[in-house]
Amino acid sequence: MEVGKIISIFEISVEVVVSDNTIKIGDVLEAVDNSKYRFEVIEITNTTALCISLNSTRGLKKGTIVKKVDDGLKMEYSDALMGRIFDAYGEVLDNKEFKSIKKKFINNSTVSMKDLNVESSMLKTGIKVIDFFAPMQKGFKMGLLGGAGVGKTVLIKELIYNLYNTSKINSIFVGIGERSREGKELYDDIVSSNLLDNMTMVFGQMSKNPVVRSKCVQTGLVAAEYLRDEKKGDVLLFIDNIYRYIQARSEISMELKEMLVGNGYPSSTAAEVSKIEERLSSTKDGTITSFQAIYIPADDYNDDAVQNVVSYMDGQIVLDRHIAELGIYPAIDVFKSTSRLVDKDKIGERHFKLVEETLRYLTRYQELEEIIAVLGIDELSDEDKNIFHRSRKLRYYFSQPLHVSEQFTNIKGEYVELEDVLNDVENILNGTYDNVDEKEFFYIGKYNAH
Amino acid sequence: MDLNIDKVIDDIKKDNNIFSAGKVIKVNEYNVEVSGLIDVAFYDEVDIAGKAKGYVFAIHPNKVIVSLTEVEDKIMPGDLVYSLNKEYKCLFSIDSIGKVVDIFGNDLIAGKKFNNLIEVSIDGLDIPLMDRTSVERSLLTGISGIDLMYPIGRGQRQLIIGDKKTGKTQICLDTIVNQKDKNVICIYVAIGKTKKEVKEIYYDLTKNGAISYTIVMASFNDELPTKSYLTPYVALSVAEELMLQSFDVLVIVDDLKKHADIYRQISLTSNKVPGRDAYPSDIFYAHARMLEKGCQHKSGGSVTILPIVETKAGDITDYISTNIISITDGQIVLSKKNFDKGLKPAINYGLSVSRLGAAVQSKELSKVGSKLRRELLAYLDVKDIYELSDPSELSPALKESIDRGNKMINDLKQYKYSPKSESEMQTLFSYVERVEKEG
Repeated sequence: MEVGKIISIFEISVEVVVSDNTIKIGDVLEAVDNSKYRFEVIEITNTTALCISLNSTRGLKKGTIVKKVDDGLKMEYSDALMGRIFDAYGEVLDNKEFKSIKKKFINNSTVSMKDLNVESSMLKTGIKVIDFFAPMQKGFKMGLLGGAGVGKTVLIKELIYNLYNTSKINSIFVGIGERSREGKELYDDIVSSNLLDNMTMVFGQMSKNPVVRSKCVQTGLVAAEYLRDEKKGDVLLFIDNIYRYIQARSEISMELKEMLVGNGYPSSTAAEVSKIEERLSSTKDGTITSFQAIYIPADDYNDDAVQNVVSYMDGQIVLDRHIAELGIYPAIDVFKSTSRLVDKDKIGERHFKLVEETLRYLTRYQELEEIIAVLGIDELSDEDKNIFHRSRKLRYYFSQPLHVSEQFTNIKGEYVELEDVLNDVENILNGTYDNVDEKEFFYIGKYNAH
Repeated sequence: MDLNIDKVIDDIKKDNNIFSAGKVIKVNEYNVEVSGLIDVAFYDEVDIAGKAKGYVFAIHPNKVIVSLTEVEDKIMPGDLVYSLNKEYKCLFSIDSIGKVVDIFGNDLIAGKKFNNLIEVSIDGLDIPLMDRTSVERSLLTGISGIDLMYPIGRGQRQLIIGDKKTGKTQICLDTIVNQKDKNVICIYVAIGKTKKEVKEIYYDLTKNGAISYTIVMASFNDELPTKSYLTPYVALSVAEELMLQSFDVLVIVDDLKKHADIYRQISLTSNKVPGRDAYPSDIFYAHARMLEKGCQHKSGGSVTILPIVETKAGDITDYISTNIISITDGQIVLSKKNFDKGLKPAINYGLSVSRLGAAVQSKELSKVGSKLRRELLAYLDVKDIYELSDPSELSPALKESIDRGNKMINDLKQYKYSPKSESEMQTLFSYVERVEKEG
């Protein structure tokens, strides 16, 4: 059905003079002579419709006639999505045959308070520093925050390895605005280890225009909701990286000449984020446990967009450049990493006390480092010397050989049980390991006393 | 192509094609506003009264904004504008190898246009995810600090970042020189540099026998910002074209901070809303789509990119730097302090990263390299703590590890244009592995 004619064209938006007043927000339009040009309606007046272009507008002619093709963007909503890889608009990327069975709009609504479920069991990740400082629970949202190049993606990949590869629990991976190379390598890894069956992947990588990048998270959510609501099971959702969604929204706002507030984000950022995060909830049918990488622009932890997303998280792991600089990976800042579970009633008194004591040691260590820079190590009291050396051991102990970084470290990756971590930390703190060289704790799993 | 233009202009003069013609109504340094041009498509090439060329940048209901790329004469309001009814493209000749060229197909040293030009589209479609294969063949720089610890693979994007005068360009030139007889075509892209700098680079490459497989694609600081902005995209389109024909290509982009500033300048004059540090919000996308052209393609060819970013006071956490770090597959950080100490190349081994690591290294090199890196970083950490201690009071083991650290730092020094082979690097650092075995 022909509905109008294009009168203005920009990089990612067009304006259409409409000849049909049934056009609604969210409708998908297409150029009659070329299906390459597709648009989503975002604003309407009596006579015009403002649309964002789903693909590049390059080569699009003024005066092009458009027709309406759908009531909104849709994503597969059936078992056919398992083991497949999709683009942001729900089209398969793997060049294999795909028969669409049932589709659903990607702009779904959030979960009501009535259906929300908050109780659940603990989820171990096998990564020492996470299980110890920021323990997870099914249904949690865990934010993995870090500046550029401090290891967010590696950590996400390790979590996929430890959680998905061992349990084969239904999982979704959403790649937003990240490197195409990494996306393809992750896909290849999963295919070559024959683990694709229970995984659905959605990609809108950084080489794509902002419209693609902003849509792919919703497309991924439809898949997660299917697994929760229809398959009635638990779901793991990995998002790398949710900041790119806000960034893409800002780019679109800029193109539409909307007023931007601090650091170039649209004033609607908080609303946009809530539309995503509130959908990621657990119900009586199943849990959605999500790990969301959050990029910190310009290493500015207080960035508006970052803080906005963080406020929805049940826990956070913060990666720090200074720790990465020391060669300690995962480069986690233990002072900023925590979760809602760190509570005496939830993880037990022993674990809780150990966390408190470890933080006390490491805080003192930071102060001591400054003293040493001025006076030298010999001037410390014996107690401080103990704290200094034990803290260094702890710091090294929380490095870990990861399965997915075997190629960097040449050390075999290890999954570590929480019980072992608690024992080792206890022994370091109470001085049992005072005579062991600190390097012995560097890149190990659990400590094996000789 | 020329026939086409003549025909279009002829048609317009005979009033056969009034829809493809318009008039200039407003002019500024980089843009013109045009009325008319009814039958025009986004990104079409337009000619302004034979005085200037550009492409359609925005189409409004009653006017069209044209971005200027080449201006030969002053544009006046009322000048006739023709649309050529085809996508705007730049020109390239395969004879460019060994020459300094620009994106309009000019041989800048000889001062004339090539005569076998082909059209290259600027910044076309991205490379499909499924057409990429994993990066695993090495591209050796000949610098032991890089090849051992932060290796670069064919299809990798490795950022070179550091202050002014820390040897960023030099590392790239060393890398080009080390590609001799390795079947790699190199493209050095100069963005907004001075003519003198570019000529010196050209001479350096010639002297070291590297120009026979290198294209220098330059834009200068006194030219239109649009041209400087487009230059790296054109260079990467050329590289992509060669990659699809199964060639391995190495592209140096010197530098992206300048590019970001130029893009900011263009954006602000085109009334885009500024974001962080007054850069437009899509500055990340501008660089991401450029650097995503770097890949190992299923055709067997590859595009390796070494973008350069200049920092101030050693701060790699500013907006543009972190943006680019989050796009590339690793970074070589250069430190002014090391440079002044004479530790050249002035690599900061703590902050440098390669995300591909041993995947792009030979087994032998990676064995030595990973141990070297771990030892070196541990040494740099310990060094500060014991700097004030009396050496005679240190335990013999600690003293030995500090001495070994000093030796490593010393052995990593390397003068420009003196590449080392893989086996030379292995021999030089074989002691790292030996010690670890004994311990």
